[in-house]
Amino acid sequence: MQKLVRILFIAALIGAAVWGWWVLFPSPERAIRSQLKKLSETVSFDAKEGTIPKGFKAQKLLDYLTVDVEISVNVREYPVHTLAGRDEVMQALLYAQSNFKGLQVKFLDINVTVGPDKQTATANLTGQATISGDRDLNIQELNFSLKKVEGKWMIYKIETVKTLSQLNRPAEFLLQ
Amino acid sequence: MNVKTGTERQMATDTKRSGFPYWLRVVLIGRNPKFTIIRIVVLVAVVFTMRAYVLLPIQIKGPSMLPTYQENGINFVNRLAYLRSEPRRGDVVAIRYSGESRLLMKRIIGLPGETIEFRSGQVFINGEKLDEPYMARDFTGDWNLGPEKLPPDKYYVVGDNRSMPERQHVKGEAERRRIVGKVLLCKNWFAFSSSQH
Repeated sequence: MQKLVRILFIAALIGAAVWGWWVLFPSPERAIRSQLKKLSETVSFDAKEGTIPKGFKAQKLLDYLTVDVEISVNVREYPVHTLAGRDEVMQALLYAQSNFKGLQVKFLDINVTVGPDKQTATANLTGQATISGDRDLNIQELNFSLKKVEGKWMIYKIETVKTLSQLNRPAEFLLQ
Repeated sequence: MNVKTGTERQMATDTKRSGFPYWLRVVLIGRNPKFTIIRIVVLVAVVFTMRAYVLLPIQIKGPSMLPTYQENGINFVNRLAYLRSEPRRGDVVAIRYSGESRLLMKRIIGLPGETIEFRSGQVFINGEKLDEPYMARDFTGDWNLGPEKLPPDKYYVVGDNRSMPERQHVKGEAERRRIVGKVLLCKNWFAFSSSQH
């Protein structure tokens, strides 16, 4: 009986050590997934949220982005738009916070590819945004480019992906 | 004088032993718990395998496939549909984004290598008008696109709701690798009413 207890104790100890290692030293892929999950929580807000928590979130957003971050948006209905630098991105979030009642962002189906140098990575994912009061789901495939800055994965580029490529409009309709 | 049958004696013994009435035990875990466990394990394995490799359940959101498929309807994607054959014109398919959590549900109207064009909402393939029985017979709209030749590995997909404004309607060329499978049912099986309406 005592032997069994000893074996169980050693097994539990090994399990705890493995779990500790897993938590303290995550693989680049897991670290990036965790970073993206936190980012989605940071840009999301609900109607009840006050101005101070929203401002705190906008400030916190900077922790995930490099100084020269670039966000390139090319989606149907809207002209191509690029946000350059952290300040522009923060302004965009502040604009969303003041113009929408609430915004829930989710990153789904994240496929992470870490570069051979282990210092850069790309994440292909599906972004889902739900605006309070709007019954439509806004879904867009995105590519995130990340690099390691002082041991932390930071986003330096976000691009929209055309899941379905479009047909060109005839010249006479392009002029309209 | 009371005479108890074998079953009644068993029921009485079981009730005394477990604290549960015999009928409740039968309803919850069956007459033979071993067989019940085996049945549950087999059922879970079958459901898991079907879900992962054969039929993917979906719920339809958005109006782009109206009137064929209603919003909030339940349907399934047959993953094995294109195992031995390639997608065909008229097939309603599911197209993935970066994964399968969210899918686009569209109808294939153009095949690889064909030239596709929209003229006043009507589809023209290689210059000939496409017969679309799933659309209203006298349908005309304001969609004007193309003509453009599809690359070798791309299919042109579009929803059935062409009365939507063209710019709001998600459509376009889908790579073969993005097509997850064919939508199983021609109409919705049943539709949940949405609280968002």
